[in-house]
Amino acid sequence: MVTATTTANRLPTWVAAGIPLAAIALLVIVFLALNPIGSLREVPPVEAMAVERTVLNEDEIVLSLRNDGPDPVTIAQVLVNEAYNDFAITDSTVGRLESATVRIPYPWEEGLPIGIALITSTGGLVEHEIEVASLTPEPDANTFVVYGLLGVYIGVIPVAIGLLFFPMLKRASARWIGFFLALTVGLLAFLLIDTVAEGVELAGETAASLDGLALFGVGVLGVVLGLTVLGSSLDKRKSDAGGATSTGAGVRGLALAYLIAAGIGLHNLGEGLAVGAALAAGEVALGTGLVLGFALHNTTEGLAIVSPLGGNAKRPSLWHFVGLGAVAGAPTIAGALVGGFAFSPAWAAVAFGVAAGAIGQVIWQISKGMSKNTGLASGLGAVGFMVGLGIMYVTGLFTA
Amino acid sequence: MGGIDRRSIDRRSFLRRAGAAGALGGAAVLGGKELLVAQESSNGHDAQHSTTGAPTRGHGHGAVGRVDHARNGFTPQELLTEFDTGVVSTDASGRTVREFEIVAVDKEIEVAPGVFFPAWTYNGRVPGPSMRVTEGDRVRVRFTNGSAHPHTMHFHGIHPSEMDGIPGAGEAAPGETFTYDFIAEPFGTHLYHCHSLPLIQHIHRGLYGAFIVDPKKGRPEANEMVMIMNAFDTNFDGGNEVYAINTIAFGYLNEPIQIERNQLQRVHLINVTEFDPINSLHLHANFFNLYRTGTKLVPDEFTDIISMGQAERHMLEFSYKFPGNFIFHAHFTEFVDLGWVSSFEVS
Repeated sequence: MVTATTTANRLPTWVAAGIPLAAIALLVIVFLALNPIGSLREVPPVEAMAVERTVLNEDEIVLSLRNDGPDPVTIAQVLVNEAYNDFAITDSTVGRLESATVRIPYPWEEGLPIGIALITSTGGLVEHEIEVASLTPEPDANTFVVYGLLGVYIGVIPVAIGLLFFPMLKRASARWIGFFLALTVGLLAFLLIDTVAEGVELAGETAASLDGLALFGVGVLGVVLGLTVLGSSLDKRKSDAGGATSTGAGVRGLALAYLIAAGIGLHNLGEGLAVGAALAAGEVALGTGLVLGFALHNTTEGLAIVSPLGGNAKRPSLWHFVGLGAVAGAPTIAGALVGGFAFSPAWAAVAFGVAAGAIGQVIWQISKGMSKNTGLASGLGAVGFMVGLGIMYVTGLFTA
Repeated sequence: MGGIDRRSIDRRSFLRRAGAAGALGGAAVLGGKELLVAQESSNGHDAQHSTTGAPTRGHGHGAVGRVDHARNGFTPQELLTEFDTGVVSTDASGRTVREFEIVAVDKEIEVAPGVFFPAWTYNGRVPGPSMRVTEGDRVRVRFTNGSAHPHTMHFHGIHPSEMDGIPGAGEAAPGETFTYDFIAEPFGTHLYHCHSLPLIQHIHRGLYGAFIVDPKKGRPEANEMVMIMNAFDTNFDGGNEVYAINTIAFGYLNEPIQIERNQLQRVHLINVTEFDPINSLHLHANFFNLYRTGTKLVPDEFTDIISMGQAERHMLEFSYKFPGNFIFHAHFTEFVDLGWVSSFEVS
């Protein structure tokens, strides 16, 4: 007993860590070599294939596939609108988690739906619906500019306009500041619901073996942890500097404004992704109404950002407003570009998770900093919260 | 099959509802000249292409690749023209006796290039052997069930109830043998099929074949063919992915049926299509004499199209006036696109 303990103590740490790793490696080798549960696997192959990306070129449909089932899948034939069609595939047998590209020559028509079914060697169907056919934009300089401008129109400009509520907030009394903070919480609560719904929907579209819901969850928890660390360090720095606003009751003032901007920025990254991807996939026509709807919707985000600055004795420098606007609005541009040219449901699920976590964290920070008599539980606070939700709902209708 | 109905970029339903009517305005707001130009050019392009619609033989249409007939163990040619007339003998009364050996086998067959179907077969082929006898012959069919499921052979014709080939009257359990024994009547183009339950499975999986009873007086010399209109629901969702005559999608389009000009052609056409209530045949650039169920010696009709419900069958006679390639197909165009289009090469 004594000897054993001494021996264990003498082992270097790296060797100790290596023991379980080596055991795992051995287990893997044994299983691969002997296949001890092979008799349990005598079932027909399970075929699952996700269509990860659709590109419509002139007279051609290109699908990117990923096998997200446990067994290899062989694509034998392609049906387009219920007719056998010519096609070419990089490799007709697609292994687990492997990808393949199917190119289908087809004189598709603008604006009409296309039903595609890939027939596997076992006669199974991988069905994929293109709801509205439209030419996939080429990733050239011009379309880059168009997608970038889209981000500016629906993200940056509306947020910047929303920041113009600051002078009004500056003149507001403490009671009304509380009202606007509660209203901000309402706005954010709506965005949170929206983001979670989007993220969960995206998670469902992710290849099953990539587990989109887990990716979404990783995004949520990762960012909550990150922002909590950031928040407490900001808090600490303020109290070290003897800042008047720090009372240990949470982040306030400019720091809180930046936190809100960051949360909204992450939400807008996801929103940009969704809009860019939908536009590229031809699922949305970019109408004036839609752009205006998003602009109106996102203007309220600017109000949310500046609400913690109300009533402060000192006006932050103009550069801070530029910074706040950039943090909240600019990610829309990045989102629209990525969504338009390199959309992947798996990464989008992570992005939406990050956004949901960030917004939740910001809501918590604001609520923590609200005083009891102007908080959510106060009459005016509750009204503010409901008004915030209502504004988001009503302006959201314009994006429908 | 694993649930594989998946949308990939099926984004935000609220975005989708935005009308295409706004496209112009939106592009203008964005200053997005390029988007607009791209859409216009693709519109123009489609307009050109919508007029070049050769649906059956146009480039880009049809299945890719070829079925491996050797692996299937049967060729479209033998399904078309080979008849099994049995082992012939005469009984004490002088009556011709024809004895057949049929074995039910479960077998995977290739119904379209690369697409395999877990079929149930008579003698390893779909359709089963084209059995051919003469009116008044005694038919003895030794049926052995080598499949994992109970099966029967139910002949369309006139026979005693114990020879009907239904559960309780001539059903063979796996490993068992049953001998059907009856006198062939009436003459005509008939069929046999499994009548075990559930019926839809036992027919759809491939247990059917032609049963031709010739009239005693015979018929004029002709090039005789059996064409069974069948279909396969490869993913078992209650709808067919493959349509054909004699099993192979586009089989006789890829390998046209070779016939001679002015030679009498006689087709025994049988419909066993499951899931769709009706199937049809339309002959291009020609007309045919139609003998309904093949039970008469004079034609019922002169036409170029015939629609048939399941188990309906007719005898068609025609000859080609001109040499060349002539297609024939179901005039349910959906079936054409899914494999039921064939052709004659007339020399």
